[in-house]
Amino acid sequence: MRAELSIWFFAGIQFLLFGLIIFLEGLWELSHPLVHPPVLNALHPAVWWGAGMALAGLAYTVIFWPRRGPLVTATDLKGNG
Amino acid sequence: MLLPTARLLTTSAPSLGFLQSTAAQTKTTLASLSGVDILIIAVYFAIVIFIGFYLRGASNTSEEFFMAGREMTAWIAGLSFVSANLGSLELMGWAGSAYQYGILAAHWYWIGAIPAMLFLGIVMMPFYYISKTHSVPGYLHLRYGDGARFVSAISFAFMTVLMSGINMYSMALVMKVVLGWNLNFSIWVSSITVAVYVALGGLRSAIYNEVLQFLLIWLGALLVPILGLIEVGGWTNLKAQMVQRMGSMQYVHLWSGLGHFNTNPMGVHWTGIVFGLGFVISFGYWTTDFLVVQRVLSADNIRSARMAPILGAAFKMAVPFIVILPGLLAISVLPYKLVGEGQAVATGGHSYNEVLPLLLVRYLGPGLLGLGVTALIAGFMSGMAGNVSAFSTVWTYDLYGAFINKKATDRHYVAMGRWSTLVGVLISVGTAYLVQHAASIMDYVQQLFSFFIAPLFGVVILGMLWRRPTRAGGFWGLLVGTTTAISLWWWVHVDPSALRYVALSPDAKDMAENLYRALWTWIVTVVVTVVVSLFTQPRPVKELEGLVYGVVPLPEEHDDHWWQKPIVWAGIVAAGFVLLNIIFW
Repeated sequence: MRAELSIWFFAGIQFLLFGLIIFLEGLWELSHPLVHPPVLNALHPAVWWGAGMALAGLAYTVIFWPRRGPLVTATDLKGNG
Repeated sequence: MLLPTARLLTTSAPSLGFLQSTAAQTKTTLASLSGVDILIIAVYFAIVIFIGFYLRGASNTSEEFFMAGREMTAWIAGLSFVSANLGSLELMGWAGSAYQYGILAAHWYWIGAIPAMLFLGIVMMPFYYISKTHSVPGYLHLRYGDGARFVSAISFAFMTVLMSGINMYSMALVMKVVLGWNLNFSIWVSSITVAVYVALGGLRSAIYNEVLQFLLIWLGALLVPILGLIEVGGWTNLKAQMVQRMGSMQYVHLWSGLGHFNTNPMGVHWTGIVFGLGFVISFGYWTTDFLVVQRVLSADNIRSARMAPILGAAFKMAVPFIVILPGLLAISVLPYKLVGEGQAVATGGHSYNEVLPLLLVRYLGPGLLGLGVTALIAGFMSGMAGNVSAFSTVWTYDLYGAFINKKATDRHYVAMGRWSTLVGVLISVGTAYLVQHAASIMDYVQQLFSFFIAPLFGVVILGMLWRRPTRAGGFWGLLVGTTTAISLWWWVHVDPSALRYVALSPDAKDMAENLYRALWTWIVTVVVTVVVSLFTQPRPVKELEGLVYGVVPLPEEHDDHWWQKPIVWAGIVAAGFVLLNIIFW
């Protein structure tokens, strides 16, 4: 087997998952405020940071989604980038 | 700065001793993780392990396993190049240094890295690359013969696994201090994970993970300076608050206080920073330490190999934003003063090196804190994977394959690479437990690296730029240079007042010793190599083709546009470097 998935695809998946988890946690905190909130938590960093990560991760996941093809090219191996 | 994780500590203020002392205390942990945080850490480990298994099939030949098939693009090799150096202990140590010494700590990221990285890309990389060497000891073999290769390989292999173990132990202590995690749990989980993904996927797997870890470190740590700057009201306010709190302008200036040893918090002089750090230590580490050079050797062509360190330099230049700035912010926002290790032990307070964890806890809630902790773990694992993959390569190519079993099959060498990865991890684990019971070993081992860097750089650079150095010259240069480094260190160790002679000033402080020791060591190495070479038979020029500047023309690179040339990008990075130094002068 040869590597078919771009490194940027892995990066996208990772950021998408992390972003979603953090974003959802941030949304949850809007209705269930923390007992001991960190400094500047009123800015809701979990919401916008999580959303940003999720969007960037989604973009990379889609752009570098493994394409079906007859042969893995050298470019795939190199991560398309 | 330029040196990886604990390795950097050989030339810097941060010390891992704080971890020993802090862990010994029975104070409560800084934070506890929520279920969301644990979920993020678990996802990270799952992805890392998956990559190892996924890439197993792409690491069947020695070229694939040890050199990632030489298929990495400039971007991937460049990010990996920086990431292998960006360990979590480096992050925490230099954040602590920034708290202690102010913006002076940024020298280790700028003049202590950028010129050397650009030099590697523009001048040295073509020789490493076209010689098709698998390692830096391999280049020494081609240029100086087996003697220099053996000395270099054995010292590198030995030190790499020791340092890996020390890093592992230090990271486990961080997790104990910050989160209250069990030492054995941290050591075994992290080492088994690294062993699995490096043994399965080789350098390709290490590089893939290093790139992901680099991005993760940025995302996990970037919120701290952003929120910190919001809290203090911007950079101008931060500077004013620092001056007020520390009572000195020198915490916010890079160069203006370096005219004399006693006019800056570090007790250093500009000559030490420029020549000791900026030239010898920096060039020695970034251009001859195989841990980082291996990443660039994996590039898919000579242009990528030249661009990788240049791109790495651009990213390296930005790292102070997530390392140095938090240290400066802590001066302003923390309601208490951080202290040195000894005092932290005595009073139960927090030491300088806890700056980053303290700020993570200060600004990050559930989820984000998990991301921050994952960034620390990722930083640690990238450093360890770098050590282990480099060890495996040097052991297999430069020791086992060169001196023990020269005629094995390619498949045999790949198997040896996988096994040596596992053995390297086990030795690292053993070192971690050894250090746990004999903390002083840590300090000595950290010094050992500094003994080899300057002589190695002296010999490599002479051999690369001048055809006259001989095998005997290289061997004696390395040997006498290393002996000089050890002697100078020992002199100051037994008689601290000797620092005034090594650093040329009675006002010099500890930090200055490493800078000037490296400088003197390099000068001795160069002088010995030159003198011995002039008295011994030079090698025929024909044997030096592809190894020495000027012997044969380097292969032409055909870029379609002027802006694709590496020299153009190096110039842009160099301009940014100069600009930063002027802004923060």
